[in-house]
Amino acid sequence: MKRILSLIAFCILSFSVLAQDFSFGNLNQSDHQFNKNTLDSNANAMVLKEFGKSTIEINESTGKPELHFEYHVRIKIFNKDGFRYSNIVIPSYKDDNNVETITVVKASTFNFDHGVFIETALDKKSVFTENRSKYTLLTKFTLPNIKEGSIIEYIYHLQSPNLFNFKQWDFQSDIPKVYSEYQVNIPAMYNYNVSLRGAYKLSDQKTELFKECLRIAGSVVDCSKITYTMKDIPAFIEEDYMTAASNFKSAIYFELSDVQYLNGGRQNITKTWKDVDYELTTAKNLGSQMKRKDVFKDILPTVLKNTTDDLSKAKAIYNYLKKQIKWNNYYGKFSEENIKNVVEMRSGNVADINLSLIAALSAANLDAEAVILSTRDNGIVNKLYPVMSDFNYIVAKVNIGDKSYLLDATEPLLPFGLLPLRCINDQGRVINLKKPSYWIDLKAEQKNVTNYILFGTLTPDGKIKGTITTYTLGYAALNRRKEIKKYNSVDEFVEKLDEQMPKLSIVKHEILNIDSVENTLTEKYDVEFTVFDGKVLEQIYFNPFFINRIAKNPFNLNERTYPVDLGAASDERINISIVLPEKYELLEKPKDMAIALPQNGGRYLLQTNLSEDKLTVSQILQFSNAIYPAEDYLTLKEFYSRIIQNQKKDLLLKKIK
Amino acid sequence: MKLAVALILALFFWWPCIAQDNYDADLIPATLRNRANAVIRNEETSVNMLTPNNVLYTVKQAITILNKNGEDNARLVLFYDKNTTIKGISGEIYNEVGKLVGKFNESAFKDESAVNDFSLFEDNRVKHYLPNINVYPYTIVYNYTMRYKQNLIIPTWRPKPANDVSVEKSSYAFICKPTDQLRIKAQQISNKAEEQVNEKQKTLKWSVSNLISQKSEPYGPDKESYQTSIKIAPEQFTYYNYKGNYTNWQELGKWYYDNLLKGRDVLPTSTVETIQTLIKDIPTDKEKAKKIYEYLQTKTRYISVQIGIGGFQPFTAAEVDRLGYGDCKALVNYMQSLLNAVGIESYYCVVQAGSEKKSLDPTYASMDQGNHIILCLPLKGDTTWLECTSQKIPFGFLGDFTDDRYVLACTPEGGKLLRTPKLTTANNLQVRQAELMVNPQGNINGTVKTIFSGAQYDNHEQMIGKPLLEQEKLLKAVYPIDNINFDKIDYSQKKDINPELSETLILNIRNYGVVNNDKLFLPLNPFNIQRTIPEVKNRAMPVYINRGYTDIDQISYLLPDNFTGIIEPYEKVLSCEYGTYTATAKLDGKKLIYNRKIVLNEGTFPAESYASYSKFMADVNAADHQKLVLNLKK
Repeated sequence: MKRILSLIAFCILSFSVLAQDFSFGNLNQSDHQFNKNTLDSNANAMVLKEFGKSTIEINESTGKPELHFEYHVRIKIFNKDGFRYSNIVIPSYKDDNNVETITVVKASTFNFDHGVFIETALDKKSVFTENRSKYTLLTKFTLPNIKEGSIIEYIYHLQSPNLFNFKQWDFQSDIPKVYSEYQVNIPAMYNYNVSLRGAYKLSDQKTELFKECLRIAGSVVDCSKITYTMKDIPAFIEEDYMTAASNFKSAIYFELSDVQYLNGGRQNITKTWKDVDYELTTAKNLGSQMKRKDVFKDILPTVLKNTTDDLSKAKAIYNYLKKQIKWNNYYGKFSEENIKNVVEMRSGNVADINLSLIAALSAANLDAEAVILSTRDNGIVNKLYPVMSDFNYIVAKVNIGDKSYLLDATEPLLPFGLLPLRCINDQGRVINLKKPSYWIDLKAEQKNVTNYILFGTLTPDGKIKGTITTYTLGYAALNRRKEIKKYNSVDEFVEKLDEQMPKLSIVKHEILNIDSVENTLTEKYDVEFTVFDGKVLEQIYFNPFFINRIAKNPFNLNERTYPVDLGAASDERINISIVLPEKYELLEKPKDMAIALPQNGGRYLLQTNLSEDKLTVSQILQFSNAIYPAEDYLTLKEFYSRIIQNQKKDLLLKKIK
Repeated sequence: MKLAVALILALFFWWPCIAQDNYDADLIPATLRNRANAVIRNEETSVNMLTPNNVLYTVKQAITILNKNGEDNARLVLFYDKNTTIKGISGEIYNEVGKLVGKFNESAFKDESAVNDFSLFEDNRVKHYLPNINVYPYTIVYNYTMRYKQNLIIPTWRPKPANDVSVEKSSYAFICKPTDQLRIKAQQISNKAEEQVNEKQKTLKWSVSNLISQKSEPYGPDKESYQTSIKIAPEQFTYYNYKGNYTNWQELGKWYYDNLLKGRDVLPTSTVETIQTLIKDIPTDKEKAKKIYEYLQTKTRYISVQIGIGGFQPFTAAEVDRLGYGDCKALVNYMQSLLNAVGIESYYCVVQAGSEKKSLDPTYASMDQGNHIILCLPLKGDTTWLECTSQKIPFGFLGDFTDDRYVLACTPEGGKLLRTPKLTTANNLQVRQAELMVNPQGNINGTVKTIFSGAQYDNHEQMIGKPLLEQEKLLKAVYPIDNINFDKIDYSQKKDINPELSETLILNIRNYGVVNNDKLFLPLNPFNIQRTIPEVKNRAMPVYINRGYTDIDQISYLLPDNFTGIIEPYEKVLSCEYGTYTATAKLDGKKLIYNRKIVLNEGTFPAESYASYSKFMADVNAADHQKLVLNLKK
């Protein structure tokens, strides 16, 4: 998916048509008659043309280089649902030292009336700036006189001191684009790594030499001018069960690799992993915190009391920190505080907590490392060279014997060795204080396991009385524990649970291991529910899928573009065993079945038996992969469909005389 | 300085023995802990109306957070804007035994703009703070003062902020000049205000204690209708640069009209001419208004813009005319101006919008009621209502957003409370007719036609004009049937005061019925399965059903040729005070006809009756899953 376009300045000289901005408001009959069906008949609005241009210029007052970005777009609005594309919000970044400025240069609506386009220009007073939060400004405006068929056009200018990521360009957005062009002018002294993401290819790419584009302290610098063009780009539409949109959206990204100064000096910005390793392991807010064994000297003997081997030590420390420090809900790979304060204040971000964990593990003479990673909603990291801004999270890795465990102490309800689902995203980079860094797979260490067992008796009036026992592990247990913890007591939880199921009543309950998260969560309920009205007749039909019956197909669409990401493999078993009031024979039953997904991707088994007066129904539903390619979607859909069909079938029991 | 001394003296007088409070969590009585996630130990709220444009609102609150679920109650959220400033915040945190463990001030607060979605809003901001503590229980004490440069809107005192919070004690003091006239609306509070008057000031004080937390119950009445609250409205008020006085809706409506609306209806001559030409040949005012409304719908769209006099004053009509957009105020004012231009009278009406019906309080006029504006056309007795923010809604139809409630019409003669029309159970209809063919494999295909009207029209209006792919996706969510496939989707809208939306679907569902050996299992009700509702043990609150409805489904299945045997006619009838349900199925030649009708009544029902509601819904759900077993020829 990802390609690297290495940027070599001065190499390619091309004198083809010079890329340039289209002229504002220059519309003609064809824009009015534009037929969206050629690209997407379902579009509410469409970008007809889009042009962006970035340059680096020297700020005259500060003398520092800054990025100038100009954006020009022409959008056609087809219907009322498309009106929202005339509401424009442009975010910009600010902090104490740097502010990005946005200037709306021009914005107009064009409505076709009696053979001509009538322009209504945006009143500049109607551009608002919202001070969204500490780091974000929003520039907002809405275009006037919007009707079905309106064409809107606007140009804005962004000035930014942040050169590091240059200016990324999204070829794909939630509406289709007919033509999108981005021109970058990069002075020879800057070297950027460029990566194109997404499924679509550039229609064209041109590189030219732009002589004397920049003047710094009396010297002139040449630029390479590169133009990227993409045509007929479909809308990006998010689907269920997918990770970050940024993994799939077609866009071009930049990261500053190095700067060649006029005096001959050279500064490497993006580095090799070797450089990064050095920086991270010596960084005040990362490596230095990993080394703070001293913080835990005094407390460790207490924490490690009753531990014997390394594994039990690691578990004790993990459990201690999970309880001791509260996560403030912020991500981060760098600590905000030094961990001494974190431990004192008992609160911190992800890095504060997990760096504390690493330091504590090391203090107990365990082999602990750090793993930096990118969460699922943050996208997949670049593997070709280190892009530090891709990483937004850090966890601990502890190596015991020949096994290693990934640990995140931000979620008190997670068992030892299981990362939260948000971290299960391709690969992370292990940072070791002494050894070179390396990649590691981020996979869910435990399957989602759910086991239901029902032992019951069918009473002559059509009720089942019995016990349902549920065992859960993995994320299934995590979610269930969170659910239970929403209530102040188990009794309240069960009361609510009972109330949610009007046809079933819970007579007695017992829930084990709510807090001992290393163990299987076990719920036992004595229940009563009705399976059919009235008396047991000579012949009875009833449906044996009382527990977790699959009524809806989770994959009910006709097509799929992106992979289906379920997060973790899963295993659900349901065993039902019912004692019948009298002797019956089983005349009909849902077919016993055993179906499987291709390449051992999963399976479903169903078996129903009647022996003597005991009816047993057992089911297994397994998904062995966390991710299925988009091509498997229809197979998954059919797999579920076959289960649903079979679960519609009833048993037919006939009394034996 | 003098004032400050007086203040201190007053406080001293009222709370003569404030000792160092003890926040030991063990001191909380057991009755207050039951089902509570947090307990307000003590709260002292005071409003000091020094002058109409200088009102100090001071809160001291000590709240004990008992567990993680109560955490959100520790969060302090303060909204401010040009007219409201935060004068100072300080606080302390105490641990379980009541020992001071931390202090904080305003710098700990996050500052953000208070804007949702797309709104061209200027200066409404919010500061909020939540301490990072994960050892429960703990107590957080806040002290803060806000200054209002107005006294038109005084915050309502509601001592109990949420169901899961108990209140040990809480008090409210309102301080003003002895000559100030006030209107007070007290709800659910037994003790009268203690009143203290001297030459300089008058103080009114209310207090409550031992309010216990409650379990949340579904289908309950509006909390505001039964919770303890005190609302105060000074007769003389200042608001931005306006001054005024009111004691009832008539006067408030008059002030509203005279100061915020009058003179904002001037339109460019060209627009007036366009409108006059537009309606030239139309005989009746109502039809004229309809034509103008359609003009409004093509010309304008809704954009939230909350600028100006506290968000109460609309853009001028000329502005909307130029821009083609506005918020509810601006669009109503614009529509009113268009109607004025041809001599049709209409009223600008303030309403509390939302699917849950809430009226403006006929017994208590105040500026903080209502959140939306609609237009009322008296039309000589043929009263017609217009919602001006939607481009899809038909002329004269309000929908369930503003139906059946009191609204304030602001007219040159003053304010009048009017009631919007009711969408009745009988008219909130969904009528479906389906002709389906069943083949021997259980696949079905055919045509399903559904007509939605009344409030049910509202539920589906969004489908109109959407691209096919989006409609298909939405329909798969509305009818979540495995293997459902739409061969044709069609919507038509009867744009009328009583609108109808008809949905015609040509569809097929593979393996809808399933064959097992030589039997075909056919679920009778594919499209309208009633969900169950939770049971509630020991229900405490009355049951409130906001809006009733009627659903009628008639489905005819043409059975496969190889079907044999007989089918006993099926009938299920259920009924209780909440509604009625009938489902029948019988064979007519090769056709199996399934009929289902459910009527759900609206209203308020006694708490004890909830069990019968829950049982009714569960029984309906069970009946909706009725399957038919057909024998097939081998």
